[in-house]
Amino acid sequence: MKNILLSGDGGQGVQLIAKILCSVAFDAEQHVTSIPNYGLEQRGGVSLNFIQIDEAPIVYPKFKTADLLLILSPQARERTIQFVGDNTIVIDIADYAEVIKEAQVPRRSQNIFFLGVLTTVLEKENIGITKDAVLILLENMLSKKAGWEENKKSFEAGLHMNLS
Amino acid sequence: MKRQFLTGHEVAVLACIDAGATHMFGYPITPGTEILTNWIHHTQKNKALEYLQTEDEIAAGFAVCGAVMAGEKTFTATAGPGTVLMQDALSMADGMRLPFVCIVAQRGGPSSGTVIYSQQEVNLAIHGGNGEGMRLVYSPSTVQELYDMTRKTFNGAWKYRFPSVVLTDGFLLKTRQDVVLNTDYPNVEAEPLVHEKEYKHIRNIYTVEEELYEVLQEHKRDFDAMAKEVADYEAYKTEDAEVVIVAHGIVGAATKAAVDMLRESGKKVGLFRPKTLSPFPAEALNNLAEHCPSLCIVESSMGQLRDLVKQALTVSAEIHGLYKPAVGIDVEEIVSFIQENYQ
Repeated sequence: MKNILLSGDGGQGVQLIAKILCSVAFDAEQHVTSIPNYGLEQRGGVSLNFIQIDEAPIVYPKFKTADLLLILSPQARERTIQFVGDNTIVIDIADYAEVIKEAQVPRRSQNIFFLGVLTTVLEKENIGITKDAVLILLENMLSKKAGWEENKKSFEAGLHMNLS
Repeated sequence: MKRQFLTGHEVAVLACIDAGATHMFGYPITPGTEILTNWIHHTQKNKALEYLQTEDEIAAGFAVCGAVMAGEKTFTATAGPGTVLMQDALSMADGMRLPFVCIVAQRGGPSSGTVIYSQQEVNLAIHGGNGEGMRLVYSPSTVQELYDMTRKTFNGAWKYRFPSVVLTDGFLLKTRQDVVLNTDYPNVEAEPLVHEKEYKHIRNIYTVEEELYEVLQEHKRDFDAMAKEVADYEAYKTEDAEVVIVAHGIVGAATKAAVDMLRESGKKVGLFRPKTLSPFPAEALNNLAEHCPSLCIVESSMGQLRDLVKQALTVSAEIHGLYKPAVGIDVEEIVSFIQENYQ
């Protein structure tokens, strides 16, 4: 697992969860690159973040095929189809509609729910991303802000997704 | 040395501070805006640093011209259409031999184009003025090089007195990466071009054609002398290469990874990467092309690097290229192109 592509609409919090995952991997002594990509829109356009995490130094911050792809909106799906390869693990919000409803994940915490889902996948990869480390960082960043309890619950709901 | 997780913007600003810059004049434009905002952030903590957000790039450029004449290490940063506007002041700096430092964050063009990436401002950085294009232009390929070359750009500007550009792009500037910066670098000191109460005529206009002609001859002699000292390049796995890929900036980084992949599959491929686009490392390229006359240009423009290569070559070489204006070029794409076109 080296190439991670996060995608959604501007304002959905893609850049925030990219920052969290990268910071945790950096703290775990991994080599990390993260490059945001978006258009002119402040909100509503497609927002991407290309992340690479590796034990070896990374020479180029972009990639052609994602190992793990997060899709949080229909237009993000359309934009990122070109990065899907035979072995890409795709986490698509369209497949989680029922779960999100059942777990009562509010719209503004959906990115944090998917941070939990991503953490579950990445924890198996031995690249320094663990549930505990992500939760600690999340707590440092968000616990003093409004909606922390909802975010924490959403993260935990994401962690309980079985993706096998 | 401390391991840090920094963006290219943050690294560029650190390099400016370490180079001894005290003032930034700028107008925000993506993807270079964060150079201005990061610099402003530093001015809040370090009272020796100053900034002025001007009404446009023209004003920012002329503010740099004035400040360097007073002996202040000063710089600006811009992108795309801002680089176009900056040519007015840069051209004055060409004529007056001012140590004008500009960080250019290339974005797609023409006009407002796209806001993140391209390699389409090569011509503008070198030849954007109404003169002969005697500028020092560095093209970094990694975050560490962005730091090194920003330091070198300040040193070159103040030592040789030619306008100097760090030509980068939004991919390199926006990438956040783990880095261990080597910051150990001596600075060339700034000094006033005109001292207080002194009268000195630093000209950018002449009434007699022959007078300007003589001045330009002198500039050319100085530029050629500088070229011998600063023209720089990286030759990677070129000793036995049957094909040499020529690439610069961040595409050079992707090409380096592609060379490694191609070598693993038995292709004898190398990389020639000009670190200075102006002055261009012509002698090194010609020496290389003498034993490997098959060159493949890879760039995110329709041939701006290719034109520099053709201009530099004095030996015959066969030139092909992968030209992708305004889009990034992935490692795998370079590998496929070489495999398909060089059997």
